[in-house]
Amino acid sequence: MFKYVMKRILLMIVTFFIIATICFVLIKLLPLPAVKAQGRDVNLVEQKRELMGYNKPILTQYWIYWKNVFHFGGGDSKGWSPDFGVGEQMYISLPVFDVIKEKLPYTIVVNLYSILIAIPIGLLLGIYAALRKNKWQDHVVSTAVMLVVSVPSYVYAFLVQYFLCFKTGWFPLTVASRETTTFFSMAMFKSMFPAILSLCFATIANLCRFTRAELSEVLTGDYLLLARTKGLTKNQAITRHALRNAMVPILPMILGEFIGILGGSLIIEGIFGIPGIGKLYITSIGLRDYNFFMALTFFYTLINLSANLVVDLSYGFIDPRIKMGAK
Amino acid sequence: MSFKKATALFLSLAMVMALAACGKDNNATPKTATATPTAGVQSGDPTPTEPVQTNGVTDLSVVKEADGTLYAGAVKSALKTAGGGEVGYDVYTGNGDKDYTDPKFYTYNDFITDTSTLRWGPLDWETHDDSLILDFLSRGYYNFVLNSTKDGWSVSCELAEALPVDVTKDYVGKYGIAAGDTAKAWKIALRKDLKWDDGTPINADTFVYSAKELLDPIMLNRRADSLYAGDFAIYNAKNYLYSGKISKEVNSADGEAAAIAWDEKVKGDDGVYTSKDGAKMYIGTKVAYAWLSGSSIADYAAAGYIPADLMNYLNGKADADGYVPLTDEVIAKMFEFTGSDDWGNEAESDLAFYVSYDQETPVTSWDEVGFFKTGDYEIVMITINPTADPNYYVPYNLSSSYLVKPDLWEACKTYRDSNKAVVDKNSADIASITTTYGTSLDTTASYGPYKMTFFQADKQITFERNDQWYGYSDGNHKGQYQADKISFQVIAQHATQLLAFLKGEVDTVGLQSDDMKTYGTSPYIRYTPQSYTTKITFNTDKASLEKRGTQILANENFRHAYSLAIDRAKFASSYTSAGTAGFGLLNQMYIYDPFSGASYRDTEGAMGALVGLYGLKFGGDEKYGDLEEAYDAITGFNIDQAREYMKKAYDECVADKSYDGQATVEIEMLVYQSDDIYVQMFNFLNDALKDACKGTGFEGKVSLKMTVDADYYNTMYSGNTDMIFSTWGGAASAPYTILYECYCDDATGQKNQMEYGYDTSKINVKIKVDDVDYVASLQKWALWADNSDPTCKITSVDGSKTLADFVDYDAMTKANIYGLLEKTYLSSFATIPMYYRNSASLVSQKGDYAVTQFIDLIEFGGIQFYTFKYSDEEWANVVSTLKY
Repeated sequence: MFKYVMKRILLMIVTFFIIATICFVLIKLLPLPAVKAQGRDVNLVEQKRELMGYNKPILTQYWIYWKNVFHFGGGDSKGWSPDFGVGEQMYISLPVFDVIKEKLPYTIVVNLYSILIAIPIGLLLGIYAALRKNKWQDHVVSTAVMLVVSVPSYVYAFLVQYFLCFKTGWFPLTVASRETTTFFSMAMFKSMFPAILSLCFATIANLCRFTRAELSEVLTGDYLLLARTKGLTKNQAITRHALRNAMVPILPMILGEFIGILGGSLIIEGIFGIPGIGKLYITSIGLRDYNFFMALTFFYTLINLSANLVVDLSYGFIDPRIKMGAK
Repeated sequence: MSFKKATALFLSLAMVMALAACGKDNNATPKTATATPTAGVQSGDPTPTEPVQTNGVTDLSVVKEADGTLYAGAVKSALKTAGGGEVGYDVYTGNGDKDYTDPKFYTYNDFITDTSTLRWGPLDWETHDDSLILDFLSRGYYNFVLNSTKDGWSVSCELAEALPVDVTKDYVGKYGIAAGDTAKAWKIALRKDLKWDDGTPINADTFVYSAKELLDPIMLNRRADSLYAGDFAIYNAKNYLYSGKISKEVNSADGEAAAIAWDEKVKGDDGVYTSKDGAKMYIGTKVAYAWLSGSSIADYAAAGYIPADLMNYLNGKADADGYVPLTDEVIAKMFEFTGSDDWGNEAESDLAFYVSYDQETPVTSWDEVGFFKTGDYEIVMITINPTADPNYYVPYNLSSSYLVKPDLWEACKTYRDSNKAVVDKNSADIASITTTYGTSLDTTASYGPYKMTFFQADKQITFERNDQWYGYSDGNHKGQYQADKISFQVIAQHATQLLAFLKGEVDTVGLQSDDMKTYGTSPYIRYTPQSYTTKITFNTDKASLEKRGTQILANENFRHAYSLAIDRAKFASSYTSAGTAGFGLLNQMYIYDPFSGASYRDTEGAMGALVGLYGLKFGGDEKYGDLEEAYDAITGFNIDQAREYMKKAYDECVADKSYDGQATVEIEMLVYQSDDIYVQMFNFLNDALKDACKGTGFEGKVSLKMTVDADYYNTMYSGNTDMIFSTWGGAASAPYTILYECYCDDATGQKNQMEYGYDTSKINVKIKVDDVDYVASLQKWALWADNSDPTCKITSVDGSKTLADFVDYDAMTKANIYGLLEKTYLSSFATIPMYYRNSASLVSQKGDYAVTQFIDLIEFGGIQFYTFKYSDEEWANVVSTLKY
């Protein structure tokens, strides 16, 4: 097991390095945004780009970038103090790391709340639908799930905003700023609720659909029939055997959802005015902000690689029959 | 990991590294080898005739003469009178007690869509949102404010205590001032009660420090050109910024005269030729040379006109920017080709036209810059050129200021070396300096009426009254600044913005075309004109179009037909919230006489330009009695005429083999995004094109295809598409720079001009001024009107007369000449105006703007003159009852 984990971590590092390299080269190959402007001295921008090393060979830039990422010392510290650079086209001159650090909590908190609400609801609805399979209750749940899955998230986000925030006035239209309240206050939670609700829908629907399918399949297994014939009540058979087996593929999915919350949501954050990191990545590509793009590439690559590793490893913990690294 | 997997990983990595090693040139702009000017207008009488009356009918169309020269028309000129006009100084004093003395608390709420690119540092701000913030935090030396009769503007003193005084004669012999010069040196007395928001005093030293930092050669602040670009360029400001730096200059800007004559070159010890002054000479492979019709050697090589072995040789010797040091070997290699039959047997001395040379900006110290203090509260600014109409243009050019708080500014700097590592400010290797000034609450200082009190990126910005601001105690701002607090939320989505407005959380909201169905008749709708004209811009370069199979676009009649097939009024009303049909490059916003505020578009010259362009005739038995009637009737839409032109285009294209009569042609239109409105606009334009083709050989064969490209401007600059929407606008009170800077500066995508391939340097335009014929290229005429190059002169055909500088003519003459140039430019149909941009917005019932009619420079009075009907407390009680 240890050998397997080490091997996976090594492979992860290699994959990370390759992805970072590919992304660095590809973004640098894109042309820079035009600096043309009526009556303005274009030289100012072009010379600045020259000073900032934009015109150096890409491999030289690549080397400089890694050198600064693996920077040691600086300030009072003698340890690793990575320098991801400052914003050059967006959040100009602000340290990239600081900007991401400031925005991440909003994204994490909103998504965390939504998952904490969505998981029990999704699981319960899925279990309920599976137990009432092909009855009207199942049809109602399945139809609702299909509706939510089919409709883009921004549609029900706007509906939530219109009815709960505008028409009834129960909630603010957008997430509160820190000028008026603190981060973990009730007022902040209230202002986040419409966004949380909008984010919940998709997770509930997916989890419900998945749980229903898995549990339905497990419920038809011979061993459940055996369990019943041995004298277990239906509820005992379901909770002790069916649910446990159905959870093998579901739990890694839930784990993935937790790790995925760091990614943020471009659309929901935009609609509800959440100052999170949802749109940073796409904006950095549009504006060719290399430092933001690379730092976020690192961030998302690490999240995804770690998520894959954790999910893979979790199979072994959930079901002891699955041996990690076994031939 | 298996060996195979490892090998695969390494191979993929190696591929990427190889790709990187190939490198790229961020400045490279793919071009085509030849630019094919497609100047053309209605084919008229081959002999030059004045487009005037025939049987009482006036036709103002451009006429093409036998030699291809375009005859634009005739004007009578008048020089302006000395001294210029007068401006007013009376200021609207507001509405009773509704000003900063009101004890109730008032908040004005607004929104912005994004703060990711926001920075309000006075030395490097860029965008409209940046300036919005700076308006609260700063003041100009002078300000244009609502006049007492609320129908125009007046000049008020702000940071300056008094109006500028012309002290040119005091500096004769210095700063480039000669005896007899006037309006070049301006003394400005500063207020003595200026303070930062923390109470720190501001004096002349602060102004000089800020100006010096603005021009810092390492920081290269984005606003640095404010001190050297345009009409109010400070003496030596640019030289100080670029002091001692070497730039490459083209040896012959016009392909006729060479700065360094071929015989005058001197061979250096290293074998590289220099000028007599020691400036190194190069063959520039990537430089657009006039000798090569604005293309580069690399362009010609790419098109196959220059042999690969010569290009490979040059590339082998060139630096990263494509410059090859001029040596005997390089001369021999170049001349072997340029002197051959294949190229046209050029003389060796013609190689001078392929040469660039090092030009070193003179080493300039700060003491040599025309910006200094002459007292603790007195500064002098000296400009390179005299300021015309100084009563207006000096305050206008000084209506902004660029002050930074010295201690905070220094604390916000970060020094980096050539490896981008952070270094100490005393380091010997400082390659760049960045600053965080004006990016957060802690890095913001105010010397304006409001100070920043809260900032959260992508969420909210709040301003509150800056009690240290002089205006609240000087007695000159009564009736102004009633808002105690101004708050900006970040709201990205339009739907959310609208809901926030309806809930009373923001006090204005822009409307989109779909909203007009609901709010188009609201009494709270406000229309704001903008100086922008949206156009369709075509690639007219035949060589690049041929590669794309869309060379029919190079045919002028084709483009003319398309122009006539578009119902602009319908387009504007269907797809814009408040746009109006657009016919010219400049719209109604542009002021030709700053003192009267009269619109350029209303002058005879400007009206005649469009009447002539769209082929309307007046007088005699024509439908329209006079120019004004004809102008009012312009629609730009005539489908029958469109089909006639399309037939002509078809015949010409078949004749010159641009079209084989069978092929299906899809003209690519790049759009920024593919949302519903863009799709609808595209469909409209596609239908218009198909409609124009009906009954012609093109019917059923020519159509548009839409491609989404967020970088569509750059794609057009490189000639890699067929057509785009393009929009230019500018300062409404400075109409005469736009033609050169945006439409005539470079047909190969090097500068602002987007009409790829439409080479205005090759189009000769004749204008009869006071019965004397003057001919120059369209580009030269535009440059002359731009007034940025004092050496640009227009001489008569016989060489006996030279026009005065454009700036010296009176307002009407300038407008009339500009009208002729605008008409000539548009007569190529390389770009066709679609609509004039206007914006529509809903304004809150919370308060009133000072005026309801838009006034140039004042707009609606802004927050300065905004008066509230409800305090915050009252507003909370009434907001739910209000309807829009």
